[in-house]
Amino acid sequence: MKYDVCIVGTGAGASGVAHTLTEAGIKVVMLERGGFLKEKDFSKDEIAYCKRDIITPNLKESYHTIEALENRKWVKTPTYVTESSFFNGNIVGGSSNFMSGYFHRLKPVDFKLLSTYGAIKGANIVDWVIDYDELEPYFEKVERLVGVSGEVTPYKYHEPRSTKDFPYPPLDEHPISKLIDKSCKKLGFVPYKTPRAILSKPKDERANCYYSNYCGSYPCASGAKGSARASLLQPALKTGKLSIITHAFVKKLVEKNSKVIEAIYIDTQTKKEHRIKADIFVVAGQAVESSRLLLNSKSKNFPNGLANNAGQVGKNLLFSAGGVGSGLFDKNSMPLNELMKEGLFVNRSLCDWYEVDKMKGGVVDFLFEHANPISRASKQRWDGSKLLWGKELQDKIFNKFTTTKQLNFEVFNDWLPTDNCFVSVDEKYKDVYGVPVANIRRGAHPHDLKVAELLAQKAEEVLEEMGAKNIRSSMSSYPPANLQAGGCRFGDNPKTSVLNKHCQAHEVSNLFVSDGSFMPTGGSVTYTWTIYANSFRVGDYIVQNREEWIN
Amino acid sequence: MENIITRRVFIASSLLTGTALFLLPQGAKTSIKIEPFKVIAAVQEVLFPKDLDAPAASEFRATAYLLNVSTHSSFWTDDLNLLVNGAQKLIKKENNFLILNPIEQDAALRDFINNSQKGENWVALLLFYTLEALLSDPLYGGNKNNSGWKWLGHNTGKPQPKKMFAEEVS
Repeated sequence: MKYDVCIVGTGAGASGVAHTLTEAGIKVVMLERGGFLKEKDFSKDEIAYCKRDIITPNLKESYHTIEALENRKWVKTPTYVTESSFFNGNIVGGSSNFMSGYFHRLKPVDFKLLSTYGAIKGANIVDWVIDYDELEPYFEKVERLVGVSGEVTPYKYHEPRSTKDFPYPPLDEHPISKLIDKSCKKLGFVPYKTPRAILSKPKDERANCYYSNYCGSYPCASGAKGSARASLLQPALKTGKLSIITHAFVKKLVEKNSKVIEAIYIDTQTKKEHRIKADIFVVAGQAVESSRLLLNSKSKNFPNGLANNAGQVGKNLLFSAGGVGSGLFDKNSMPLNELMKEGLFVNRSLCDWYEVDKMKGGVVDFLFEHANPISRASKQRWDGSKLLWGKELQDKIFNKFTTTKQLNFEVFNDWLPTDNCFVSVDEKYKDVYGVPVANIRRGAHPHDLKVAELLAQKAEEVLEEMGAKNIRSSMSSYPPANLQAGGCRFGDNPKTSVLNKHCQAHEVSNLFVSDGSFMPTGGSVTYTWTIYANSFRVGDYIVQNREEWIN
Repeated sequence: MENIITRRVFIASSLLTGTALFLLPQGAKTSIKIEPFKVIAAVQEVLFPKDLDAPAASEFRATAYLLNVSTHSSFWTDDLNLLVNGAQKLIKKENNFLILNPIEQDAALRDFINNSQKGENWVALLLFYTLEALLSDPLYGGNKNNSGWKWLGHNTGKPQPKKMFAEEVS
C-alpha cells in the first residue's frame, strides 16, 4: 500500500504536520516506535512512568552512547552502563504525553541571535532564516488547537501577539504564588503567569484539568494536557485519512535518484521487517533519533547518510542550558494547611532577564517539587555521604513529608551550538536490531553556565525574600535528555545547513524534518511550543505545494 | 551485543504465613536460591523496623514486592545479582545474622558496611527497593493496605493503575 505521506514519529513535531495534512484530505501514515496508550490506560503509577524503562526502550534493546571529555579525550559511555536512558516517551504522542507543559513562545530576538549580540568565540551562532512574524500565526494556532491556558502579564521583553489573551483562562493557583508575587514586587521583579499547555476548560472531547498533583512525567488521564496524541492525533484519526502503525522502529530510509522511496521498519513485537512507500517522507523522531536515522540511511548517492553530503547532519545539536534550584518552606512561611494544599499550580516565571548585561539571558520557572513519593523518600537516604536507615531515616522521611514543602526553580537559557555537541553513529555500538545507536557528544560552551548562574542568583533572591530555608541551586553543563533540538539546522546555504527554510532537505526534495532538529539556535525557553508551531508551518507548506510530490 | 542482552530471570514466588517458598517453574533459565532472600528480608526489617507509627518492612511486604518486580523484564538484572551477592557476602561474614536480635543485626550491618564501599552500595540499593515497596501502588505487592501512604499522609494521584507496568487496559 502506498501513502501520500509517511511520518516517522508521532510527537509534537510530527503531529502538527499530520493534523494539517489529514485535514486537507492527504493520506498519511505515521510510524511510532512504541504502543498506543490512551486516557483509559493512564494512571499516576510512579513505578511504571518514573522508575522503569517501560515507555522507553529497554536499555538492553537500544541505548545511546554519551561522549564526554575525560582527561582531554572524548570517551563514549553507553547508557546501559550508567543506567540513565536518553530516550523520551516512546508511545503515540511521544514525550508530549509526559511534559509539564510550561509553555513559552520564542521572542523576536531568538531569531536574530547573531545580528543582535554578535559572535561568541567557539560558538556557531547564526540568525534564523525566518523571523518571529512568520511563526507568530502558528504560535497562536497552538494556543487554540493544543490548548494553552494563561493570562498575558506585561513585562519588558514580552513578545508581540496577534490576539489579546490566551483562549483558556489560567489554572487554579496555590497560595504560594501570592507570596512569590509579593516578594518579587519588593525586589522590583515582574512575576509572569506561566502559560501552560493544560486545559482549564473542556475542549471537544478533552476534559479540563482535575488537579491530580501528579502532572509532569505522568500521562494525563483527562486529556487536559496538550499532548500531541490528545490534542492533534485523536482528532486527525477521525478524518479517516490517518493510519498509525505502532511498535514500528524505523531503521532506514531508502533513497533513489535523490528521493526517498520507502521506509524500512522493524516490528519490535514480531521482529519482522516491513517496508512502506510514500510520495513524501517527514522525519520527526526527536532531534537525536532523527539525526541517527538520516546518518544510518546510507546509499550510493549519500555515503555519509541521507541529506548529509555537506556533513551537517547531527551537527550543532542543542539542549537547554541552565539547571535547578530549590528552597524549603514550613509553617513559619504560611499556615501549614495552606502550604500543604495539593494539586494547585505555582505557575510563575521570571522573564525580566531575557537580556542580561548585554548578553542573551533566559527564563526562570517556579514549581513545586514533584509529588513522587518514592523519589522524595529515596533522596532522604543520604545525609551528605552518610547512609541513613532505621529510625533515623524514618524520622527524616516523616518530617520531609509532613512538615515541609520544597519549591523548585528551573533556569532555561541558550545552549550555544558548538563543534563539540553533535550526534554521530559508530559501527561499534549497535542495538539489538543491528542498527548503530546514536552517539551524543555532549560538549557545552562555558558561556552557557555563566548566563545560567546569573539567572539562578536572581531566583535565589526571590526564595530568600520569600523566607525559604536551605536555598540551593546547581547549574550544570550536563544535557537534559528531554530538551533536545538542532542537528539538522535550517538555512539558505546547503553547505552549512541540512534543511531549507521550509524544513525540506536541500539535497532530497521529498524529505522533511519537522521536529526540533531544524533549530539553529535554541532560544531560552522550553522547545515544545516552538516545535508544535513549526510543525504546523511545515504542514501548511506541504499542503500548499502538494502537486509537486503527490500524484 | 551478547553481553547486554537481557538474561531473564524466572522466579515464581508464594508467601505462606510469613515464610517464603520459592517454586521454580520448569524450564527456568536461572534459579534463585532461597537463602539470600531470607537474608534480604531480615536486612529490610533492620533498615525499616517497626516504629511508633511507621510500618515495618515485613508489614508493608518489602520482600514480596522485590520478588514480584524482579521477575519483570524492566528490572535491572545487574541489580538482582548485586542484591543476591550482597546477601551472600553478609551471611558469609556474619554466619548467625538470621538468629541475632534486632539490635545485634543493626550493629552487624553497620560493621558490614564499615570500610566497605561495596557493602554500603548494597545496603543503599536494598534500601532503595525497600522504599519503592513502601510507597508504590499496592498493586505491585508492597505498601500493604496503603500503609506507607497512610503513615506519611500521602494522597496518591488518581487514577491508580489497574495494571502493572503501564500495560494497556482492555
